[in-house]
Amino acid sequence: MLRDIFKSVGNIEIYGLISMIIFVVFFTLLILHTVSLKKKDVADFSRMPLDDFSDESKEL
Amino acid sequence: MENQTFYYDNKIVKNFAYATLFWGVIGMVVGLLLALQFIWPALTFGIPYTTFGRIRPIHTNAVIFAFVGNGMFTGIYYSLQRLCKARMFNDLLSKINFWGWQLIIVCAALTFAFGITTGKEYAELEWPIDILVAVIWIVFGWNMIGTIIKRRTGHIYVAIWFYIATFVTIAVLHVTNSLAIPVGLFKSYPIYAGVQDALVQWWYGHNAVAFFLTTPFLGLMYYFLPKAANRPIFSYKLSIVHFWALIFLYIWAGPHHLLYSALPNWAQSLGVVFSVMLIAPSWGGMVNGLLTLRGAWDRVREDPVLKFMVVAVTAYGMSTFEGPMMSTKTVNAISHFTDWTVGHAHIGALGWNGFLTFAVLYYLIPRIFQTHLFSRKIANLHFWIATLGIIFYAVPLYWGAITQASMWKEFTAAGFLKYPNFLETVTQLKPMYATRAIGGGLYIVGIVLGIYNLILTIKAGKFLPEEAASAPALAKIAGKRGSGEGVHRWLERRPVQFTIVALVAILIGGLIEIVPLYLVKTNIPTIASVKPYTPLELQGRDIYVREGCYTCHSQQVRPFRSETERYGEYAKAGEYVYDHPFQWGSKRNGPDLSREGVVSGRQYKPNSWHFNHMLNPQRLNEQSIMPSYKWLITDDLDLSTTAKKIRVMQFLGVPYPDGFDKIANDDLLLQAKGIADDLKSQGIQVEPTKEIIAMIAYLQRLGKDVHAAGMPTATITGK
Repeated sequence: MLRDIFKSVGNIEIYGLISMIIFVVFFTLLILHTVSLKKKDVADFSRMPLDDFSDESKEL
Repeated sequence: MENQTFYYDNKIVKNFAYATLFWGVIGMVVGLLLALQFIWPALTFGIPYTTFGRIRPIHTNAVIFAFVGNGMFTGIYYSLQRLCKARMFNDLLSKINFWGWQLIIVCAALTFAFGITTGKEYAELEWPIDILVAVIWIVFGWNMIGTIIKRRTGHIYVAIWFYIATFVTIAVLHVTNSLAIPVGLFKSYPIYAGVQDALVQWWYGHNAVAFFLTTPFLGLMYYFLPKAANRPIFSYKLSIVHFWALIFLYIWAGPHHLLYSALPNWAQSLGVVFSVMLIAPSWGGMVNGLLTLRGAWDRVREDPVLKFMVVAVTAYGMSTFEGPMMSTKTVNAISHFTDWTVGHAHIGALGWNGFLTFAVLYYLIPRIFQTHLFSRKIANLHFWIATLGIIFYAVPLYWGAITQASMWKEFTAAGFLKYPNFLETVTQLKPMYATRAIGGGLYIVGIVLGIYNLILTIKAGKFLPEEAASAPALAKIAGKRGSGEGVHRWLERRPVQFTIVALVAILIGGLIEIVPLYLVKTNIPTIASVKPYTPLELQGRDIYVREGCYTCHSQQVRPFRSETERYGEYAKAGEYVYDHPFQWGSKRNGPDLSREGVVSGRQYKPNSWHFNHMLNPQRLNEQSIMPSYKWLITDDLDLSTTAKKIRVMQFLGVPYPDGFDKIANDDLLLQAKGIADDLKSQGIQVEPTKEIIAMIAYLQRLGKDVHAAGMPTATITGK
């Protein structure tokens, strides 16, 4: 499958190459970002749906 | 910071919830009627408005855009206000969003019944309604982003990221795929043709699944699952990776709907690779959802909301594993054009979307009516009946799909097709179709029970239209990045910038796949013998589109021996260059028609056969499940549109000679008279200006140009 993307077909092989480079760069940066998040921030964010201070949050 | 009191708008949530239930029943009852037509074709009642080709788009659009769409709006309007600690940006925009969406649904149902359609799956709406959809969608996005901007929370929770991605991507997909030149108020031709139209359409079609049926519901999952379980999401870090990976990868996967087609191989392969990669973020989301229930599994036994959620997330996991598998060429060779696709789609629609929608409704309706769910027992009964319904629906279709694909591909020891008559492979499936209808019926019974339960809940409660809440105002935060603040952390509090970055992420895949197909001419080699349709054939083609023939018949022979033996020469990109829109289809309830007009071909039938077949298919073959199209014999062809159609085609680059529009009807009548005379010689009296003549002309044209080119059959591998 990958060979089909990279092989020379009407000079479009550059598009396959670009897409794979974007993919690798994108996810490397994303993983670095998530690893660098502070624990407290992450805990606060994940509790957001539970902290809405409204009438509906009471148990029914 | 001083606490501010404000009020959530529950009225808009209630309106969308009611619309969800109403359209859910309508969409699914139409689906049941379709299922029954496979067993009793007479259930079209002999009228045009209820034929399979016309009501199949009503079913798909009603379920996707009416039931799931309203369900999505219900959940978003409820959760967005609470996650932003703010009322919706503008009540008028909320009302326009609601009433505009219902108007679109009514217009869709009416136009499809009347045969007003573009002939592109899940994008069948004609241009005036398309414009209305774009306007209402912008109203929704404006209201949503306005609410996020005026929020009282610093961070934008991950559920809202999914809502933002839904908004921007659907806007891009809808506008790009709907670009068309109008012929009149109810008819247009897409600006794309053939292979290019197919790629844009399935880029849209696949991502409508991704960004209308998946991302908003993942957003709902990230809000309602923690709420119902009373636990924070299992891993917020995973949700971040899940979000970006999903929206980035999904957009590339569209070409997997066109494997073994005339689409260039490099584009097919990109679709396959990215589809397989999609398993990772999809399952990341599923795992994140299910692990949120850690320590709360005992409550799943008791709480119907959690029960529905667990099955919904599991169905999501199943269909997002099955989807990539079906995208590999090996599996796709068997699954494509069969009921496997239908089974797969319904695991997603009934399991993931349907169950999550009901989980959300069971969660929020008692809350906005300040009461308890009327009966947990009825909710549990709904759950079990609907679960059983899904199983009864999907299993026979998988069984049927493998049965039919095997029959299509089976050869005798002498090297001939074992089942050369397509109909043999359909009649074999009738027991499976009957079981599928039972499954669909059970699911509807479950929904009726659910609605009954919710009505009694509503009756027992008191609606709270304005729900008081309080939160400190959001402190003014600098627009620029603070010291030590990463780019993503900054983005997480800047909704407009976040929207732009999400837009860039989804555009990359689309541009890389679609742009080369336009810029590099070698992608679509032309075939000299392929000529534009004659005016009569063009009118016939429009009737073919109007009747939704593409919902049952493909026009794309795949390069398998079993297909070239059955139908003829395999599909070439160059033969579709004048097809606005393409009509490749995605399901074969009947045989492929793309070689129907090749006189020496295996599929050829004389004009009289087509006439009699349209009049009464069962008279020619008792087992046929095709409905009658007898109105084509009595209805007059609309000759007033011919010249305009030719001019629009010329504008789109179809090489009709200058001034041809002025003599188009003369050409049309001459060709029509030839067909009418031939029918007369067979003892069939019909005027040349009737619609059936145009339809026959179109069917008899299919495949002729490629055959005229005398193309040698290329080396074909496998069955």
